[in-house]
Amino acid sequence: MDDGATHGDGPARRRLRPAAGTPAATDDDLLLEVARGDQAAYERLFDRVAGQVYGVVRRVVRDPSQSEEVVQEVLVEVWRTATRFDPTRGSAGTWILTMAHRRAIDRVRSEQSSRDRTHRVGSSQHRRDYDEVAEQVEVAFEHEQVRRALGSLTELQREAVELAYYRGHTYREVAELLDTPLGTVKTRMRDGLIRLRDALGVAT
Amino acid sequence: MTADIHTLTGAYAADALDDEERRFFERHLDDCGACAQEVAELQATTARLGAAVAVPPPPDLRARVLAEVERTRQDKPRMSPGRGGRPSWTGRLAPVAAAFALLVVGAGAVVGYYQGQMGALEERQARVDEVMAAPDARMVESHGEDGAMARAVVSPSMGEAVLVVDRMAPAPSEHTYELWLIDDDGATPAGMFDIGDTGRTTQLLSGDFDGAYAIGVTVEPMGGSPEPTSDPVMMLELGT
Repeated sequence: MDDGATHGDGPARRRLRPAAGTPAATDDDLLLEVARGDQAAYERLFDRVAGQVYGVVRRVVRDPSQSEEVVQEVLVEVWRTATRFDPTRGSAGTWILTMAHRRAIDRVRSEQSSRDRTHRVGSSQHRRDYDEVAEQVEVAFEHEQVRRALGSLTELQREAVELAYYRGHTYREVAELLDTPLGTVKTRMRDGLIRLRDALGVAT
Repeated sequence: MTADIHTLTGAYAADALDDEERRFFERHLDDCGACAQEVAELQATTARLGAAVAVPPPPDLRARVLAEVERTRQDKPRMSPGRGGRPSWTGRLAPVAAAFALLVVGAGAVVGYYQGQMGALEERQARVDEVMAAPDARMVESHGEDGAMARAVVSPSMGEAVLVVDRMAPAPSEHTYELWLIDDDGATPAGMFDIGDTGRTTQLLSGDFDGAYAIGVTVEPMGGSPEPTSDPVMMLELGT
């Protein structure tokens, strides 16, 4: 799980190494490579975003086997439509997660359920290297930051945003659930997201 | 509806419009620069909500997706208006492409090497998972010189911490990095690590976190020291 050799007690084995730090490709760089048909770049991008795509789809769709179908569709769609990605209009991460959320919502709404179709989940042979642990820690930090940012919203703003984004309800349904006028829900959802944007320091 | 159509940016970014409203609003976006800008910002915000709930995907997903990608033709790019040519970025990206191709090959080799060591790491990973899921898990971070960064998830009740170090230079020749748990009585050794040419590592620390107020990192002579012999290069304050 670590890239550096871990030393226990006793004399350390040192190796001469080149100086640190190969520059890392950003998600945007990778997606632009994918647009040119680079499958190796796609694999790297996959490893970075698959957990996020799966997380967001699971939240909305909930059923594991349906979620897997949607995630697979989304990830293949990333490959297929990478040619349409325009980095001047937003980051690769936003582009992919927006697509993932939209597809999850589409699935929930169309309700063409295949609920009893079961999907075998393969062996639990996980890839456990630096990236995976680092990613876990990254997600924990991200989760904490978002939790705190959500805590800065008013009750109504937070509920409106969560019911829409994480539960996949339309704003009309949210209005119904919260027994609140439509116009109020609409503005609270927008105010809430604007406040989140500022709390998270989101830049485009 | 048209009177306050601009306020639909939030509901649109959260995918909370029904299909008809969504199409209607998308037509509006074509003509309203202010709304398009706000939507871009709010979508970047909802993407953060999504990223915050990431979970490891099912293990066989990767192979299935890659197999499908292998047989899927990519869409044609949108042509820039009036040019009939390629999207504007293709030209200037070419040198970058070559550089990335090299990076990708390098990364593949590293992954292959570590996959070979997986068995030994799995038990450790189980402990990592436990720390991350501990009810008292706490997140701390510290920044060092030249962009070096350390983040840790600490569970005092388990007496363990998961440490991730990134962008750190290798220790000088004949030296190693040593970890310390620091409390009012001083510093207790908590393991050593080396940094590869990637500048990063992950470590699992065990120790008595009761009363400890920081995790420190120092440079020590090879083999480590019973107590620190230099100033810390990193201090992760535990905020206790």
